[in-house]
Amino acid sequence: MNRNFLESKDFWSGLMLIAIGGGALFIARNYQFGSSLRMGPGYFPTVLGGILVMFGVYFAIAGLRSGAEPLKSTWSLRALIILPLSLVLFGLLIDRAGFVPAMLALIVGSAAASAQFKVVEVALFSVLLTAFCVVVFIWMLGLPYELITGIW
Amino acid sequence: MTIRSLLLKTVAALLALTTVAAAQQYPTKPVRLIIPFPPGGSNDVVGRLIASQLSERLGRQIIVDNRSGAGGVVGTELASQAPKDGYTLLVISIAHAVNPWLYDLKGRYDPLKSFTPIAALASGPNVLVVNPGFAANNVQELIALAKKSPGKVGWASAGVGSFQHLGGALFELQAGVNFLHVPFKGGGPAMIDVVAGHNQVMFSSLVQTTPQIQSGKLRALGVGGLKRSPILPKVPTIAEAGVPGYEATNWWGIVAPAGVPQAVVDRLRKEIAVVQTAPVVLEQFAKEGADVLQMSQADFAAYMASEMAKWEKVVKASGMKAE
Amino acid sequence: MDLFNNLIFGFSVALSLQNLFYCFVGVLVGTLIGVLPGIGPLGTIAILLPITYSVSPVAAMIMLAGIYYGAQYGGSTSAILVNLPGETSAVVTCIDGYQMAQQGRAGPALAIAAIGSFFAGTVGTLLIALFGPPLADIALKFGAPEYFALMLMGLVAAAVLAEGDMAKSIAMVVMGLLLGIVGTDVNTGAQRFSFGIFELTDGIGFIVVAVGVFAVGEIINNLGDKQERRVLSTKLSSLFPSRQDLRQSWGPILRGTGLGCFFGVLPGTGPAIASFSSYMLEKKLAKDPDRFGKGAIEGVAGPEAANNADAQCKFIPMLTLGLPASGVMALMLGALTIQGIQPGPQVMTQRPELFWGLIASMWIGNLMLVVLNLPLIGLWVKLLQVPYRLLFPAIMAFSAIGIFSVNNSGFEIHLTALFGVLGFMWMRLGFPLAPMLLGFVLGPLMEEYLRRAMLMSGGDPLVFVTRPISAGFIIVTVLILVVMIVPAVRKRRAVIAD
Repeated sequence: MNRNFLESKDFWSGLMLIAIGGGALFIARNYQFGSSLRMGPGYFPTVLGGILVMFGVYFAIAGLRSGAEPLKSTWSLRALIILPLSLVLFGLLIDRAGFVPAMLALIVGSAAASAQFKVVEVALFSVLLTAFCVVVFIWMLGLPYELITGIW
Repeated sequence: MTIRSLLLKTVAALLALTTVAAAQQYPTKPVRLIIPFPPGGSNDVVGRLIASQLSERLGRQIIVDNRSGAGGVVGTELASQAPKDGYTLLVISIAHAVNPWLYDLKGRYDPLKSFTPIAALASGPNVLVVNPGFAANNVQELIALAKKSPGKVGWASAGVGSFQHLGGALFELQAGVNFLHVPFKGGGPAMIDVVAGHNQVMFSSLVQTTPQIQSGKLRALGVGGLKRSPILPKVPTIAEAGVPGYEATNWWGIVAPAGVPQAVVDRLRKEIAVVQTAPVVLEQFAKEGADVLQMSQADFAAYMASEMAKWEKVVKASGMKAE
Repeated sequence: MDLFNNLIFGFSVALSLQNLFYCFVGVLVGTLIGVLPGIGPLGTIAILLPITYSVSPVAAMIMLAGIYYGAQYGGSTSAILVNLPGETSAVVTCIDGYQMAQQGRAGPALAIAAIGSFFAGTVGTLLIALFGPPLADIALKFGAPEYFALMLMGLVAAAVLAEGDMAKSIAMVVMGLLLGIVGTDVNTGAQRFSFGIFELTDGIGFIVVAVGVFAVGEIINNLGDKQERRVLSTKLSSLFPSRQDLRQSWGPILRGTGLGCFFGVLPGTGPAIASFSSYMLEKKLAKDPDRFGKGAIEGVAGPEAANNADAQCKFIPMLTLGLPASGVMALMLGALTIQGIQPGPQVMTQRPELFWGLIASMWIGNLMLVVLNLPLIGLWVKLLQVPYRLLFPAIMAFSAIGIFSVNNSGFEIHLTALFGVLGFMWMRLGFPLAPMLLGFVLGPLMEEYLRRAMLMSGGDPLVFVTRPISAGFIIVTVLILVVMIVPAVRKRRAVIAD
């Protein structure tokens, strides 16, 4: 057994597949399965979830045994958290505060995901890009969004 | 309802309402019209047509906002939560009366209590069509064939709970027959399958089917309205052709979140009444196979309630709601 | 000659100043919305429909059609430049197109995409003019069993997409199939994996998954690099394809066009299937399939030709039968109805100026698109010189607006964020993304057709082999399996023996 399996790509791949496949199996247990000739809504999810779990077990064992390829270590936790969060913020703001605040939040937020974040440059850029998007999307393409909620 | 009586009503409404000064101030900013279906469907076509005309009358832009999902529930729920100031309106259709029986709406909205009815807009019947190679030449023959081999005659619908499904389920219930229900994703693919002969029967919306009927790719056995359609004058109604009392008509209307000021309602009703009978709109409704539908506010509310009761029976009898 | 006269007549209609203008407006708007993800022809045509009320039916149709096929051109641009699939069908172009851009070959990639699309558009247009009605009749021969057998063949061939680790590729196809199941079951109306969230009842949007895993995932991945990342890692090579590029591309363009026309005629195949098929075919035919996924020009030329031919041929069922193959086509039929024209086979004889004028305008529009796109390449490539720290927030902004515009749903934005994280994770674990998207496209269709076929046959599986077209596809599928498995098994044995 490989002692460094926690650093193995295969091991984590296996866990991921088992988690997703197992989750699908668990949820689909309540769906009507039917038979191969009269498939119910649960037939495909159960079969596919089962296949994923099988693949997961295969990879996990491979990872435990040899560990094959190690995970690359150069990745940015900052980007992994901030970038999706800025999208979430956009989704929350656009219906509640309007197009302009949502855009500004998204642009500044995602720019902050980079280590090269420069406040002045990003502030300027976010205003310019937002203005551009207002012209193109709201005025030219006529998308139905309030610029700032309640004011238009 | 004749055009003359429509006009008279319009004039009356106009006279009655010009005195309401408060309503004249509305609207002071753009009005959002939520269409709980994606672009291109019948709700969208009717909604946009009315919106473009209405915004001219109101002097303010009406912004069409498609919020589709879950057969209209997503957009409807959104509208029910909007401020009740008349700046958010919702286009509804027959789906509004059917969704309570298909989806669990508890804690989301009440189709009647959460909304103030504004105005009915239009209605359009369905049409019973079969592949031209199919043995049935009229409704009676179709019923006889379906009774001879229950669960064998292929009936294509636009999906579980769709208008096309409802019309067929009502037919099954009232004619006492049982087709083989084959649901599709949308009316287009279902129609292609019937034209191609893979399935035999469809209860399609009249609007989408007229070209196929006129070119002989589909045979119309009956229309689902109470009267024959001017587009297909030779085709009997399903009711007169063998299923007495059959009526499956899609309808469209506008509602607002419950509690909208009456002055706003009155202003909107007045303008919608004008818009509905504008030549442009009449012409396009005619091309689309739809009829203008005008009702008092109370009648519209009662109509919605009666539609809900009618389709509840059909949904429950057909086992449409999946567990 | 009748066809010749008809075409001359068509051109005389399409070349009128007014119609040329609407054609130009259409393809221009199409290119613009094509570049942007999410905002597609469906929403745009719905918004612009009221404008068409006031113009002649011919001009209206010319403009709307221009938007539709123009979007196919634009879709490849953002795919190649920044790994952002502007349209569903451009997803495949991301794979090798983006790699070419990374190697400083964005110019040739964009140019070959435009040239391939133009060629495919020309062939597609000719096909409609020559064989529209008979082709539409063939399309009607495809029922549920035929479609299922066709999809099965595609899925089996998908294993060809495997890069490196075959097991990971297949696992990802299964993952895509599973994701495609989310939502309402077509056959029963049952909810699956929707967790009581009503926004999920219509399934997860393709563009949500594609933009999430490709664009957002890629950005998270890039930001992990230590030094500032430049899109252009090497110096720009020539803007235009070299003689070798053209030599490598003409075969894929021809084959892609053929595949695109085939899938285009069939109304029951979703988007992206044509381009996926072309990609798989080219990879299989290539002498050195290892280059695929690392910037092979064939992987851009073939799929781009395929998706444009597909888009062009999707008009056949609409124009000759009056049957809508997709939401966009249904909207165009609606536009005709509003103009007072009953769509259907009689349009060809009763309104020849509409039918032939539209066909001629399609070719003119395709020409305009090339003329419009080739000079733009220089401009697009310049965009890549924007520092990455500013470029990626802009990509995020356009992605967010585009996805939001599809359903005006904040929930879908949140889903995109989730798929960004998943995409990053999959990339890091060495899982290829393209097979997942293929599974996602094919899965729901396969399940729908399989279960419908079984429903209609009363549960008799023989229906797939007793119908000739379906039987043909099944035989080919078995052949592919044999051809694929034999060498794979040998290889495995060799590895184990080592």
